[in-house]
Amino acid sequence: MKKVLLKNIENPDSALLTEYMRVGGYKNLKSAVKEMTPRDIIDDVKESGLRGRGGAGFPTGMKWQFASMDPKFPKYLVCNADEGEPGTFKDRPILEKNPHLLIEGMVIAAYALQCSRGYIYLRGEYPQAKVILESAIDEAYKKGFLGDDILKRHFKFNLSVYQGAGAYICGEETALIESLEGRRGQPRIKPPFPVNAGLWGRPTIVNNVETFANIPLIIEIGPKSYAAIGNTACPGPKLFSVSGCVKRPGVYELPMGTTLKEIVYEHCGGLVDGRTLKGIIPGGLSTPILTPDKIDCAMDFVNLPKAGSQLGSGAVMVFDDSVCLVKVYERAMKFFEHESCGKCTPCREGTGWMRNILGRIECGRATAEDVDTLIDVANNISGATFCPLGDGAAGVVLAFVNNYRDEIDYHIKYKKCC
Amino acid sequence: MENNNVKTIRDFIEREKKSYASIESTVIPALHEAEGVYGWISPEAIEDISNYTGVSKAKIKGTATFYAMYKNKPMGRHLIQLCTNVVCMVMGSESLLSLLNERYELEPGGMTSDGRFSLVIMECIGACGTAPAMLVDADYYDNLNEKNIFEILDKYQ
Amino acid sequence: MIKVNIDGQEITLEKPMTILAAAQRAGIKIPTLCYDKQLEPFGGCRLCLVEIERVPKLMASCTVNVTDGMVVRTQTEKVKKARKAQLEFLLINHPLDCPVCDKAGECDLQDLVAQYGAHEGRFLEGKRKHPESFRDPIIVRNMERCITCTRCVRMCDGVQGAFAITVTGRGNHSFVEPFTGGEYKCEYCGNCLTVCPVGAIMSKLHRHSYRPWYVEKEIKTICGFCAVGCTLIAQTRGKDIIRTMPKHGLGINDGILCVRGRFGYDYRSGEGRITTPLIRKDSGELEPASWETAIDYAARRLADIKERHGVASIGGIGSGRCTNEDNYMLQKLIRYVIGSNNMDSSARFAFAPAQKYLERMFGQGVTANLIPGIANADGVIVFGGDPTAINPILGVQCRIARRKGAKVIVIGAPAGLKGFVDYKLEPVVGCEEVVLRAIVKGVVDKKGLSGENAYIENKIKKLMSPDDETIERVGVAVADIAKAVDNILKMKSPVVVIGPEAVHTSSASLNLFLLGVINYVLNGRIFLLSEKANYQGLLDMGCAPDVVPGGRPIELDIIEHKFQDLLGSKTPEEHGMNLYEMIDAAKNGKLKALYVMGDNPLFNYPDREHIEDAFNKIDFLIVQDISLNDTVKMADVVFPANSWLEKDGTFINLGRSLQRLRKALSMDGCWDDWKIVAEVAKKLGMKKSYESSKDVWEEIRKVSPLYRDVDYVGLDEQALTWPYMGEPIRGLEGDFKVEGLEQVLGNVAKGSDGFMGLTNPVLMLERPLFHSGSMSGMSKALLSIYGAPYFKISKTLALRYGFKEGDKVRVIMEKGEIDASAQIDVNMQDGVVYLSNIFEGVGYMGVVGYKVDAVVGSLVITNNNIVDIVRVED
Ligand SMILES: Cc1cc2nc3c(=O)[nH]c(=O)nc-3n(C[C@H](O)[C@H](O)[C@H](O)COP(=O)(O)O)c2cc1C
Ligand code: SF4
Ligand code: FES
Repeated sequence: MKKVLLKNIENPDSALLTEYMRVGGYKNLKSAVKEMTPRDIIDDVKESGLRGRGGAGFPTGMKWQFASMDPKFPKYLVCNADEGEPGTFKDRPILEKNPHLLIEGMVIAAYALQCSRGYIYLRGEYPQAKVILESAIDEAYKKGFLGDDILKRHFKFNLSVYQGAGAYICGEETALIESLEGRRGQPRIKPPFPVNAGLWGRPTIVNNVETFANIPLIIEIGPKSYAAIGNTACPGPKLFSVSGCVKRPGVYELPMGTTLKEIVYEHCGGLVDGRTLKGIIPGGLSTPILTPDKIDCAMDFVNLPKAGSQLGSGAVMVFDDSVCLVKVYERAMKFFEHESCGKCTPCREGTGWMRNILGRIECGRATAEDVDTLIDVANNISGATFCPLGDGAAGVVLAFVNNYRDEIDYHIKYKKCC
Repeated sequence: MENNNVKTIRDFIEREKKSYASIESTVIPALHEAEGVYGWISPEAIEDISNYTGVSKAKIKGTATFYAMYKNKPMGRHLIQLCTNVVCMVMGSESLLSLLNERYELEPGGMTSDGRFSLVIMECIGACGTAPAMLVDADYYDNLNEKNIFEILDKYQ
Repeated sequence: MIKVNIDGQEITLEKPMTILAAAQRAGIKIPTLCYDKQLEPFGGCRLCLVEIERVPKLMASCTVNVTDGMVVRTQTEKVKKARKAQLEFLLINHPLDCPVCDKAGECDLQDLVAQYGAHEGRFLEGKRKHPESFRDPIIVRNMERCITCTRCVRMCDGVQGAFAITVTGRGNHSFVEPFTGGEYKCEYCGNCLTVCPVGAIMSKLHRHSYRPWYVEKEIKTICGFCAVGCTLIAQTRGKDIIRTMPKHGLGINDGILCVRGRFGYDYRSGEGRITTPLIRKDSGELEPASWETAIDYAARRLADIKERHGVASIGGIGSGRCTNEDNYMLQKLIRYVIGSNNMDSSARFAFAPAQKYLERMFGQGVTANLIPGIANADGVIVFGGDPTAINPILGVQCRIARRKGAKVIVIGAPAGLKGFVDYKLEPVVGCEEVVLRAIVKGVVDKKGLSGENAYIENKIKKLMSPDDETIERVGVAVADIAKAVDNILKMKSPVVVIGPEAVHTSSASLNLFLLGVINYVLNGRIFLLSEKANYQGLLDMGCAPDVVPGGRPIELDIIEHKFQDLLGSKTPEEHGMNLYEMIDAAKNGKLKALYVMGDNPLFNYPDREHIEDAFNKIDFLIVQDISLNDTVKMADVVFPANSWLEKDGTFINLGRSLQRLRKALSMDGCWDDWKIVAEVAKKLGMKKSYESSKDVWEEIRKVSPLYRDVDYVGLDEQALTWPYMGEPIRGLEGDFKVEGLEQVLGNVAKGSDGFMGLTNPVLMLERPLFHSGSMSGMSKALLSIYGAPYFKISKTLALRYGFKEGDKVRVIMEKGEIDASAQIDVNMQDGVVYLSNIFEGVGYMGVVGYKVDAVVGSLVITNNNIVDIVRVED
């Protein structure tokens, strides 16, 4: 398959406007603005079947339609570039190597949604991306792709980068909006949803970097051809960031629905010789771990849930038999404890508790009863939290305990790894 | 000196506020700016920002302490931000931590006695494909190992 | 119509609301921790989870709205397990130190754990440690106990508007802190500690001496610190007050209090309290005497002076700190027992004349407005004082109005409304009138006049407006005035808040007129700030030379002989003296005896030398007070009185609501003011006896048709607002005078001579939030926040006079000198220095002079130009 999202990135100057335009950049913006009405674009995005790439997989066209139906103005367009899900590094190549693709996607979206102001909420840990994005935005302004009179069509859209400061929860869209308003990034009560009352109480459309990067393609090839890529239920190209115990980790652009096996064994060259597969987290640290027998599962929003996990951000983390999963989950829980925003009781207090128990198992100080407590605590968190962060933390523990009980029991019995 | 800091922050907020419907939005960017000016989020920094945004000092303190990357105390000349999240851990960041400790007596959250380095451990910094990884000031380094980490750090005096 | 089913109960609702609210309506109790009726929903504690049919997850009932056809269950096993789980989570880091926690017994967490279990404690690791913070004079913070419900923070930001505390940190390292991390340095309203469901934020005042079951009695009464008239619950044990608390749903304040009401209650046992009558002996010393002797003596001397010098030589001064019954009785003594109309009070300085003036413009009852209604106004215009300091809960209402979308326009220093105003309308101190004039002109020109009131409109037509140059010269941007005018024009239900400084200047009549015009044009509501709790009651009880109880003009009564019929003695016909006249008459030797109740003229009135001189010439001075103040020290007879926490009675607040005080406890040796006066009156021939303040009220009801249907006992339940379903008298309106309508230049010139062009700054009165006058100065708690006098001064001025923050300086005035430390305030203008009038010996009033405004009759401060400021060594 021809690369779209990662097009031209081997070119060391791929981030420059001239290079982007050389390979057809901003062509789609021109045709969208000149040949299509906002309504047409929203209809096409709906028809394309594009689902958000930020993790939840919400149909993008539907989100846009909700926002466009709200009579309030101004409306705001926000790009979620907080990429904080551990294991995920798929937005980074777009931000650093292909920033104009994101900008083009956003300007098309702004036109379709009649937004005159946009922000890219960029995680604080990507300082280079900030420099690159800002210079790309500058270039786009100079060329008239951004500004008060875009392509001389009296269409106005201003865009800037807002730098986060290290809070995973700010990837959650309402927390992101709080943060954009200059406050502690804690999630807000929903409803109202951002599409009706988001930034400063106005309709706000939040989409992931990769989601926006798909928009020019839909304009270019039309919704029907787009829908034919990959899985029909959730089509399109998808970026997979693969890490851990594989020969060639990295970001891969593949059709949605590619199987885990193909990703690990064909594209990433398989495991290091002599090792066997122990488990795979398919969609970032907050998605449940899969055992090796699930390797044939197609990577998309439909099939992974059937296998007991989620596509999440498409961050495949591969663990072979050299890895102690108890240790992995103790560390994972330290992450959730650290990143819990503190708003709701079960997540604030429960993640630390789970980390404690996992730590005790890891260092051989646990009893079988502790595992029961761990399960009970995780069950008590599940479904009781304010936002999905805490829920996710409990979910991954439950999946781990269910699938790897042997390994845990071994730790308890022999006070060491198997 | 003092007055220069104040002016830098005020000018920054004046410039930034045009981008937002509410001046409170400038707090987070201004905290980044103030960190550049004061080296950390000092009480004076918060007071300056409060004076120019009208957001209360307490609120700003709450915001500043919510985000992990803001420095809540003065830091060394260079800041090592080493990722220790799952993939980096699996790929060896723990041994790098102990090396840093051996070589510089540097603990996570601490600073070398000569003030050259401060060390902070990070959650995932989006470099899992090339783990383990770290940021030194604003520069990315990945595929770290026991040897190249010191070659890299030698560049920072 | 929304139909929901909760626990099998069908509920029909007219408007959408949360599941929690709907359940509460149906009497179904859902446990909550982060929810508080007064605050924005938060949804963090997760205690209120409920099951909704066809929804797989449990939902937080405090944040989810009901929808038609919804079926909710609040008592299933799943729900109970979830509640228990949340409690178990909360106990992970919550210390189990209930035996030493002051909250025990009224702790929501404790109660819920008792109900749902979760005491097994499966958590094995150590709890989070966080040292308790005692670094604040008033508030103790124990963050180990904090459950991060953020009620305190939402209270501080969303209701009080002080923005003093915040959650710092993240996750299980979240703590509530003030900016400094130690001292709060806030408004100390203490509302955070009322809403804290656990023992994380507590009052230092009753630390380790409080348990709910220690409380023997809870008495609902009205705060006596200012004229908002907040309802508070005084909790007592034996002869002590343990604490005072507001209660949600109760009174004007509806669950909040200010610093004085919350922490000032210990004034009662403060230094200088007098508990026995005193008589000045031949030796010149004040010596203790029995009540009998003292009353006898007082009556004898009064009778003697009446006989020798006539009734006109005797006068009385009532008190804004005393109840209606107290003040009624004093005027009864002076007017109907002795027979003189020489009755007045310090309400004369600002409140009384301002109200009278406004009533002239608009008719009686113009200030009878409900304070909580301010929150619903769409505009607030403030002039002449900081409502957040003078009448704090009224100030909070202004902040709430702003938060709800009202435009708040303050002319002068925004002070406590800083952060709640839209643009700067702070002219050079003394030139506020120029800005007001420009605004009124703008509003009238754009809006036009209705023709309703010819007196007002004829005057408006003569109003000159300042030119742009003049406006800029007094330090305000013309554009800001234009914006203010635009905003005022959009207001549909504005309130006009008028502070005392509006009439303490020689533009008194002009200021009142202009503020009145805004009110006239916009159909607004006027609030007249009032420092003392019962200035309004004082007037309504006839503590003024020209009115009798019920607010009836004296002339009317002289014709009707109403009092003759009811009390057996008629209202004296001879003109009585007002406060200023009495002071002058004393100085001239014409006033021989003065009965002062609950006031300290030597300290509270301007021009100490003049007052002292006058009082020295008085033959017989009776002073009735709670503490040994400067005036008490000059008295011939001193009566120790009960204070507001120690008496029954009624107050009338600044919005003319009549409310009932209840005695919380007694003070050994002290009597109610009315009772003391009545005893003296009896010796002078009064026939009637009274058992209680209720008896006094019954008499007031009889003599004034205004209160005819006001039932004293009924008042306990419900406050009443003027005209109390009674009969007010109409017909006071008429023409009135305004000075200076046509002389903008003259006034600005005055501004420039008086303040602007002058090289030396002027001394102005600070009215601080933490004190309301001498009574608050007896409270150790309030003194721990604001314990010593200081000069508030700008940085530039300090530089010019060569001193720095904290230095001791001497301010030299024409009428004396004052030493105090200097406090630099960055928000201050350069032309002024502020000093309070709280600390005896270092009061503002003592070193300035006064004159009486010819039109309004208010007190105009003079001689307040500072001669010099010098640093003094300690
Ligand atoms: C805890 C949490 C973290 C999240 N982090 C991210 C993130 O880093 N990047 C992202 O795009 N979406 C993230 N999301 C999803 C967003 O809330 C939101 O669904 C997404 O930005 C919508 O964009 P999309 O429809 O294009 O996917 C996160 C959600 C949760 C609950
Ligand atoms: S689950 Fe609760 S504490 Fe955790 S991040 Fe979401 S809101 Fe915050
Ligand atoms: S009361 Fe509903 S979550 Fe706390």
